[in-house]
Amino acid sequence: MINRFIARTGSPSAGVVLALMVAAHAIPALADGSFTAIYQRHTVRFTHVASSDGTTAIGIEDPGFQTLLRETGAVLTWKPGERYILITTSAPVVISFALGDRRYDVGPIALQASFAPYERGSEPYLPFDEVLHGLGLGQRRDGSVVVLQPQLDALDTRQDGNRMMLFAHGGAPLHPRIVRESDTAVIYAFDGVGTSLSGTRQINAGGVRTVQVSVSGTVRNPTTLVTVELTAGAVAEPPRQEERDVALTFDGAAPAQPPTTQESPTAEPAPEAEATSGPTLITGVSVHPGSDGVTVAIAIAGNATYEWHRLRDPDNRFWLDIKVAQLQGPPIEENESAPLVSLRVRQGDANTVRIALTLTGPKPVALTPSTTGLGITVGTQDVADAPRSGSGSIGSVVSESQQNAALVTPAPLDQSASGSENPEDSTWKFAPRSKYVPTNPRLIVLDPGHGGSDRGTIHGGVEEANLALDMAKRLRDILIARGWQVKMTRETDVDVYAPDDSPHQELQARVDVANHAGARLFVSIHANAYINSGPYGTTFYVSKPDDLAFARTVETHLASDGTKDDGIVKSHLYVTLHTRMPAVLIETAFLSNPSDYALLTSPAWRQKVAQEIADGIGQYAQEYPVPNQPAQ
Amino acid sequence: MRSPRLPVLVVILAIVAAGTWYALSHRGARVGETIAIYFTKEDGKALGDVSVSMRPRQIGESAAEHLHNAALYAAVQAVAGPPNDVRAIRFPPGTRVNGLKVEGSTATVDLSKEVERQAGGTFGENGEFKGLVYTMTGISGINAVQVTVDGARLETLPGGHLELDQPLHRSDW
Repeated sequence: MINRFIARTGSPSAGVVLALMVAAHAIPALADGSFTAIYQRHTVRFTHVASSDGTTAIGIEDPGFQTLLRETGAVLTWKPGERYILITTSAPVVISFALGDRRYDVGPIALQASFAPYERGSEPYLPFDEVLHGLGLGQRRDGSVVVLQPQLDALDTRQDGNRMMLFAHGGAPLHPRIVRESDTAVIYAFDGVGTSLSGTRQINAGGVRTVQVSVSGTVRNPTTLVTVELTAGAVAEPPRQEERDVALTFDGAAPAQPPTTQESPTAEPAPEAEATSGPTLITGVSVHPGSDGVTVAIAIAGNATYEWHRLRDPDNRFWLDIKVAQLQGPPIEENESAPLVSLRVRQGDANTVRIALTLTGPKPVALTPSTTGLGITVGTQDVADAPRSGSGSIGSVVSESQQNAALVTPAPLDQSASGSENPEDSTWKFAPRSKYVPTNPRLIVLDPGHGGSDRGTIHGGVEEANLALDMAKRLRDILIARGWQVKMTRETDVDVYAPDDSPHQELQARVDVANHAGARLFVSIHANAYINSGPYGTTFYVSKPDDLAFARTVETHLASDGTKDDGIVKSHLYVTLHTRMPAVLIETAFLSNPSDYALLTSPAWRQKVAQEIADGIGQYAQEYPVPNQPAQ
Repeated sequence: MRSPRLPVLVVILAIVAAGTWYALSHRGARVGETIAIYFTKEDGKALGDVSVSMRPRQIGESAAEHLHNAALYAAVQAVAGPPNDVRAIRFPPGTRVNGLKVEGSTATVDLSKEVERQAGGTFGENGEFKGLVYTMTGISGINAVQVTVDGARLETLPGGHLELDQPLHRSDW
């Protein structure tokens, strides 16, 4: 669950609007040519400046402006001759300007600047006030001196089970210090940072009762204080630097009984409380043309609420969000005939299914809840002043046979996905059995990832290249003991092609080993990693239709290997793409995750994984005998 | 006697001209195109998306230039990723779009060297490029994405697994 402190509505975009609205009054017109300002106790000189009528334009090549971008972690994208000037802040939010257009966009929000960006010589000039606000800098005056004051411009809350995290983000790197800590409250000071956030917010979840924000200090040296009031027994962890934010984490007292859901119902009661009664399923969407228009019938199993909106003509889009619901099956994106233009159905977020219609004009839309779901009927005659939004609830009684009928349409690639489906499903998910005929049906090629000059990922001194080789050797020994022939792309810690070769040479050499030998199966063994320690689990990467059944069989045997089964992922990986036989690249676990690291560094676990892969190979060979060859 | 029609015509023309100027210079941020910015969720496979609005085609902006601008905007948004409170697989910090060009239906996205600072796992590179490709190919007229790094076409990222020397399509995932 995510809440945004600055946006009392809970909408992330409202926070940006609020931050812009409360931005300080524009500094009066400054002298044409140059001026200086204080930023984080340093004097910054701006020389590519033009001002008139109380507004200031800044050239994008201005050295002071470049300093501000660098210091705030922002990046500007523009090339001579281009119309768009795009600034990506560290939030990250993209601020979009266009030459000659007063409209500018901050993230998803379109706004009007005080003047349109223009070119002087070949250098674009931007509205300075708007740029500063987007960068999270407030303009303040200390006497006659202009101070560009970094702002704490967002304090987002995210609940994860019994823990609460506050993500602080601002117009400068944030380094909060704890000024007071007791059993009931923690006070953090953000030195050098002002804010337009203020007041107290009730949280009452994850060990946090309230969060209060206030500002003290001077214009040049402000301090923003964040006071977090704790519930009994809650513990505050030290502030942690995230990728772009500082995270303040709190651990609520352990619950008396095991929680039934990860989310606490107290922070956002309605949808979460409903979620505990079991997910509502959108089991089917069908389009029925009629004499008076068309009806989109939505089959729903369970109870849900819905909310709909439409835009004003000439933008004739209509959308309906069903909460709390899961889309059963793949998303739908279809062109339709009049009075519809298109129909789109997808899982919007974890709990919302969105049905979006584009209409040919301002057509009437009628909603009819029924025992089997909801009908959306779009008429053919244009209407004026059609209602723009509405809501309702659905209590469906879909028969068990209907539910079962819907549930027998699996999407094998995404069986383990907890979130939404891919927007476009691969057409070969239900591909026929492999027609590949190996010249050596008893040969398995094992490919230990990396090696030699390429160490793969390295964490805590443990190298992926060594782990992969170790697991491959264990697997080789088991397979040979079971009567298979095994060829390794490398048996020692070497590059397969040559030291410091190109990726293409190296990967093609591995593929060549399998293709030239006419092997029956190809298994590439790796260890995964990510830039943070969160992700963990075993993932099976495939590229060709032939790979899928093999990967699925191996996955079955590795499902209980002690870490999470992250399922099968189709991707454009070189070795699975270019091998001719069924192939899988197994990322066995994450070296970047502490619990997976413990598994990977355990010889017993690596032996278990090798055993399970071998079991998977054996089962696959039995279930998928080679054409015109006896089964293994 | 001179006809009174001429001054009336002049006044009407002046009013129309003033009205046109006002409408053009004060036109509000009306709803234009919407671009879906896809990202791969931290399960490594499911996609999420956030919508951003795209400014309508401006006066004097050709269709080709507008497509270029839309693609550039989408690429910058995709590399930036969703707001920070959304859990997503992200490009390595500091990765930026150096430039973009559209040739036929292929968009070539030139990324900065920081993209090579991925941690070495398939997880990150697969998720990053899946989001980028889905975002770019969501734009009408684009169905493939060629990735370059500092102007050069790479076979894969250093130590990487994903084949990058050919244009990527949605069907690759």
